[in-house]
Amino acid sequence: MSGSNGKKGSSSGVMEWIGSACRFAADRNDFRRNLLVNLGLFAAGVWVARNLSDFDLMSPQPVT
Amino acid sequence: MGSVLAATSPSPAPAAAGGSQGVPGLVSVPPGFTMPAVSSVPPTSGSGPSADAESSLPNPGTYEECHRKCKEVYPLQMEGVRLVVNKGLSNHFQVSHTVTLSTLAESGYRFGSTYVGSKQTGPAESFPVIVGDMDNTGSLNAQIIHQLTSAVRSKIAIQTQQQKFVNWQCDLEYRGEDFTSAVTLGNPDVLVGSGILVAHYLQSITPGLALGGEMVYHRRPGEEGAVTSLLGRYTGDNYVATLTLGGAGAHATYYHRANDQLQIGVEFEASTRMQETTTSLAYQLDVPKANLLFKGTVDSNWVVGATLEKKLLPLPLTLALGAFLNHRKHKFQCGFGVTIG
Repeated sequence: MSGSNGKKGSSSGVMEWIGSACRFAADRNDFRRNLLVNLGLFAAGVWVARNLSDFDLMSPQPVT
Repeated sequence: MGSVLAATSPSPAPAAAGGSQGVPGLVSVPPGFTMPAVSSVPPTSGSGPSADAESSLPNPGTYEECHRKCKEVYPLQMEGVRLVVNKGLSNHFQVSHTVTLSTLAESGYRFGSTYVGSKQTGPAESFPVIVGDMDNTGSLNAQIIHQLTSAVRSKIAIQTQQQKFVNWQCDLEYRGEDFTSAVTLGNPDVLVGSGILVAHYLQSITPGLALGGEMVYHRRPGEEGAVTSLLGRYTGDNYVATLTLGGAGAHATYYHRANDQLQIGVEFEASTRMQETTTSLAYQLDVPKANLLFKGTVDSNWVVGATLEKKLLPLPLTLALGAFLNHRKHKFQCGFGVTIG
């Protein structure tokens, strides 16, 4: 019984942590949240620029 | 004609566009007015053939140019109709006529002129450069740029709103072998005891890394203050990454040249005063064989925009179309322009 109560306590703690993390991620008025999201977008943009832009528009079309 | 165009901004349209174009940093331009855009001269090659091993670091350029490579990839917001006629009268003198029809700003006519002197300091650099434009209400924007010595360059810029002087500033820049320093005095008023002083310093640490700082000191009766910020720039083979950190926030840009046709810019801005952050991505597609230049952008505020420029050869015409859509605020803005000459 005490073991199941302990597991329920830890799982509820994890659920609370996940809930607070989701509320933080969804709060558009929070400056720190917006800062983290935009830093992630900046990093993603840099990754896209460095890795997904190596195509030649003037290369000849493949003959089918 | 060639030396006049080389000394002026590569794109004549921004000279009549709304917003802070041309003179960066200090001057905040009232809506409807712009400082004439004059491209900065590329850094000189230090002491040239006589450079020894100790001075192998290149001149890092100016402080204002650090973020410019990325900013130039972004499309300009266009609104209404614009007709621009450029006419070169000689190798030293060029005039432009701009007619704008707008629903948001005031419609009007603007006359611009550019004079480039005979003192040639490089293959595409001649001084002095005098740029000015005036609109139909009598408001004037003017700049004078002159190379005083091989290392010292000065600039004087004024801006009037009809008969009233709105902005006036003097700029002095010194380019050393591996550093650049500049001092700008803005709107000095000896009688009132007010003014703004801006100091820049940029030092090459390695051939790719440059570090620098900026200090802005402002003073007016009963109030004075100073703001400082630090800048770091790293230049790779085909990319430039720049970061500015200050008390007001942070500004990071990344410029990547994928190939001859495609350039990409990514920008991050965070303002601690406004408690806002923004990230934006832009790309520029240049297809010279099709005489086409396309720019697109998207940002974290759900704003999507693009501009298209097409040269209608063999006519000396350039057609420009632009549109911006703000999904969050449900606002749409489009513009159309024709440039002749």
